[in-house]
Parts: sequence; structure tokens; C-alpha cells
Amino acid sequence: MGNILDITGLCKRFGSKQVLNGVTLSVPESCVFGFVGRNGAGKTTTMKSIIGLLKPDDGEITICGERVTYGGARTSRFTGYLPDVPEFYGYMTAREYLSMCGKIAEMKPSEIKTRSDELLELVGLSGEKHRIKGYSRGMKQRLGIAQALINRPKLLICDEPTSALDPVGRREILDILKDAGKQTSVFFSTHILSDVERICDRVAFLEGGKVALCGDIEEIRRKRSDTAVEVLPENPADAALLIERFPAGELCDGCFVLKNASGIDAEELMRFILEKRISIIRFERREPDLENMFMEVVGE
Amino acid sequence: MRFLRNLITFTGKELMELCRSGRLLIFVIVFVALGVMNPATAKLTPWLLETMADSLEASGVSVNGYTVTAMDSWTQFFKNMPSIGLLFTVVMSGGFFTSEYSRGTLIPLLAKGLSRNAVTAAKTFTLLLVWSAGYWLSYGITYAYTDFYWDNSTVKNYAFAAFALWLFGVTLLCCVVFFSSFANSAVQVLSGVGVVYIVMSLLGMVGTISDYLPSYLMQSGELLTGQASPEDYFTAVWIAAGASAVLLAAQIPIVAKRRV
Repeated sequence: MGNILDITGLCKRFGSKQVLNGVTLSVPESCVFGFVGRNGAGKTTTMKSIIGLLKPDDGEITICGERVTYGGARTSRFTGYLPDVPEFYGYMTAREYLSMCGKIAEMKPSEIKTRSDELLELVGLSGEKHRIKGYSRGMKQRLGIAQALINRPKLLICDEPTSALDPVGRREILDILKDAGKQTSVFFSTHILSDVERICDRVAFLEGGKVALCGDIEEIRRKRSDTAVEVLPENPADAALLIERFPAGELCDGCFVLKNASGIDAEELMRFILEKRISIIRFERREPDLENMFMEVVGE
Repeated sequence: MRFLRNLITFTGKELMELCRSGRLLIFVIVFVALGVMNPATAKLTPWLLETMADSLEASGVSVNGYTVTAMDSWTQFFKNMPSIGLLFTVVMSGGFFTSEYSRGTLIPLLAKGLSRNAVTAAKTFTLLLVWSAGYWLSYGITYAYTDFYWDNSTVKNYAFAAFALWLFGVTLLCCVVFFSSFANSAVQVLSGVGVVYIVMSLLGMVGTISDYLPSYLMQSGELLTGQASPEDYFTAVWIAAGASAVLLAAQIPIVAKRRV
């Protein structure tokens, strides 16, 4: 399976600020890729460079094997882009806007018509006859996805598509992106980690102008060593027994916590509890979540 | 070819915007009103003078026997068009380009491969179309009324004089296009155009240079009486046309590098 997007050593400086300092990552086919970083980390700069709206100082970007040049006219046929706060012409209807986008993307009129119908259905705007000026933020975001998908792109690039939305709007957009991910690769930036956990196959953390961590979400989870086992004994005195047997553990609010516990450690702990007939309220193996990973990556 | 298709699509969008935003209606009202106002003011002059005769006589001015001719109507045209028609068009066009950049409406379209030059070309075309259509509509109305009430043939060179003033408007609008390539707001664009106009007016005070400046075309009303002949304006016409072309060419590399 080839890569849809390859970024190698991408650098960009604005004035004295080095925003990107050698970003390297790849997005494979049929993948929903989460691009995580704090505000101002350079996510939008990376995305604008991918679609050719920004000229990088150094590095190379290829989409489907074709090198992206400033202006991006050649590679624009492979991509669809949803800006963070998409702005449309308020006096148009959604259908008129999609038709204009289709013409710009050099599509045939009949194709524009069928594709617009499909997409308006997908994003739940098919019954909407009003002009865009009356749309809510969520509706604009959905229209934004429709316009980005009009030319059947191989790579859908979304810049923080859920940041400005309420929980319902967020859920709708994530469902649409998940659906879209069945037909095209999705590369989306966010700082909401639960969104990434919900729909992404792969993730990259951007920090200090570089990709600090990148890979398959499950694989990253497995590799991380910060799995912990927590035991809450019914009788607080029993916690002392556990500490005695497992000196690496520690007490936290009456709860025994064994950090960096492997599967074997967990097994041993459970056997000890059974042996000593310690009555427990809770036995939990804590998975490392993205938030912890992210905090670790950004050093906080 | 792609440029041409982009140009047609974006021009369609501009024309739709013009109609649906209500701006077309405002332009039509202003230019029709201007066209009607010129002969109307001329026609009403004797009546106005009559009503004011007493106060004028008190200050020693006699107004007896004033006859209105086609010249009065055309003089109004060359007075009102720059001060109202052109000023209105320039002010209305101040944010015509910059709003696209500041609102970010172009981003999804540029990401689809829309050429930046097609955007500028479509917008420039629409701007010049509005100015030209409005201007010549106003001219046509003034011409028709003036001919109906008086006789256009008594006025000299009015068509060429109108062309010269129209061309000055084109040059000023090309200034708008140029400043819009790097300015971030309507105020910045209009300030730029204002500075150009002031510099031209100051240079116009320096002896012979004035005859070579595009702003000289604003004085084309002098052609009506025969005080000046069209030949006197040829240099300014060529310079205005050349300056317009240079301004349009100069903005291309600036727009290409503009951050969106």
C-alpha cells in the first residue's frame, strides 16, 4: 500500500519565528490521520504548505507521488481542503457554491450535479434551500466538508474541523469524517485528543516544529511503558500488605498504584490478592491515553 | 485554457454578488440620478435665479435675461461625474478585493486550483464594467435629455471629453486594483488612491507637467467651449492608458506572493 502524502524535512520561518523545523511524516492510503499539536505549533502552516498556499523554506511534499509546488494547481486534483473557520459567499445557496467549486475543479456539469446531490445528502444539507448567510457554524462546517470532497480527492485535509463546535456538531462532523475515511484518506489537525481516539488510525504529534511522535495509535499505545495497575482494597489496612510485597508500588488516596506494570506484574499482583484473600473494590489496568502521551511529548 | 475557464466561473460569481448584494441597484440608481440631474439642474437654473433674484440684486448682481443652453447641461455632467460618480465608484470599490482576503473566502477556492490571476482579472473586469456601464448610462441620459430640450450640436467635442474623463476613472480604478494587491483593508486602499490623487494635483500645479498627467483628463470640460482641442489631450490619454496597464501588470507578482 503506497503513501498518499509524504512530507520530508519541511521547514518554514515567519520573521524570526521558526514555525516548522524539519517536519517529516507520511499518510498511507485509506487512513484517518490525526495531526495533533498545541495552538501555534504549526499545524495550519503544514496544511497550507500541503495544498500549495504557502511556500516552504525547505523540504519536500509529494501527494500521490507528485511534488507539490507553490500555487498547488497540479496537485489540487488529489486534495480537498477544509479551513479551520470556512468562509463562504453568504448570498449563494449550498448547491450554487458546490457548483462553482466543481467548475473550478474542472468537473463536467453532469458530474457536478450528481456529486453535489451525493455530498449534500452525506453532510445532511440536502433539504436546505436557504442561502448560506443563514447557516449555523456547524452547517458551514458540513458544507465545508462537502466542498472539500466535491472533486473526489484522494486526500481530505481538515484544519481543526471540530474545535469551534458544540458537542452535537462535533459528533456529526466526526461521523462524517469517519464515513469519508472509507473512500479517501483523511488528514486532520486537532488539539482535541478524544476526537483522535475516536476516529483515527494513525497519529502524529507536532511539537517544537517537528513531529515528536508518529505512528499507528494501537502500536504507540503498546510501545508506551506507562501502563499502570490500580487496586482499591476494601480494607485500607490491606494496602500496606500490597506495598510490602510490591515495594515499587505507591499509595494514592487509599489506592495502591503499581506504575509501569507489565502484564506479568499484573498477573502476579492478582495472584497475591487471591492468595491473601484481600477483599477489593476495584482492580484496574490503566491504558496509556493520548492525553498522557501528548503531555509527555510536550514535556508538561 | 484553465485560466480562461476560471476567469469565466469567477466573473459569474462576481456578477451574482453584484446583483444579490444589492450593489448593482445602488449603482444604477446613482448613475441614473446623475444622468437626469445634469439637464434637470440646467433646466431649473432660470427658475432658481428668478426666485433668488431679489437677494442677488440686493448684493448687486443682475440676473436678467439668462438663457440656458445645452452647454449648461454638459457643464453639469463634467462637474458632477468626477465629484459624485467617480468618487462614489472608487469608495464603493475600496473593499472589493481586500474583503476576499480578510474574510478568507478565497482559501477553499485557491485550494481547488483557482488561479490568483483569474481572481484579479475577474474582479478588475467587473469593476471596470460597473464603472463603464454606469458612466455611459449617465452619459446617454444626459445626451438624450439635452438633445430633447436644447441642441447638442452647439456643444463641441462632448463625446471625446466624456471619453477622456471615463479613461481617468479607469486609471483611478486600476490604482484601486494595484493597492488592493497588498493592502489589508478598504481604508488602506482608499488612502493609497487618495495619496496618488493628491500627488497628481500637486504636480499639476507645476507648469507644463500638468498637461501630461492623467488628472489633466479631469479638465476635459474645457473641450466643450473649444478653448482646447482633443489633440491637447492626446498625451495625457496615452499616459493614462499606459499607467493603467503598468498598474495592472505590477500587481501580478505581488498577488502571487500574497499570504492567504
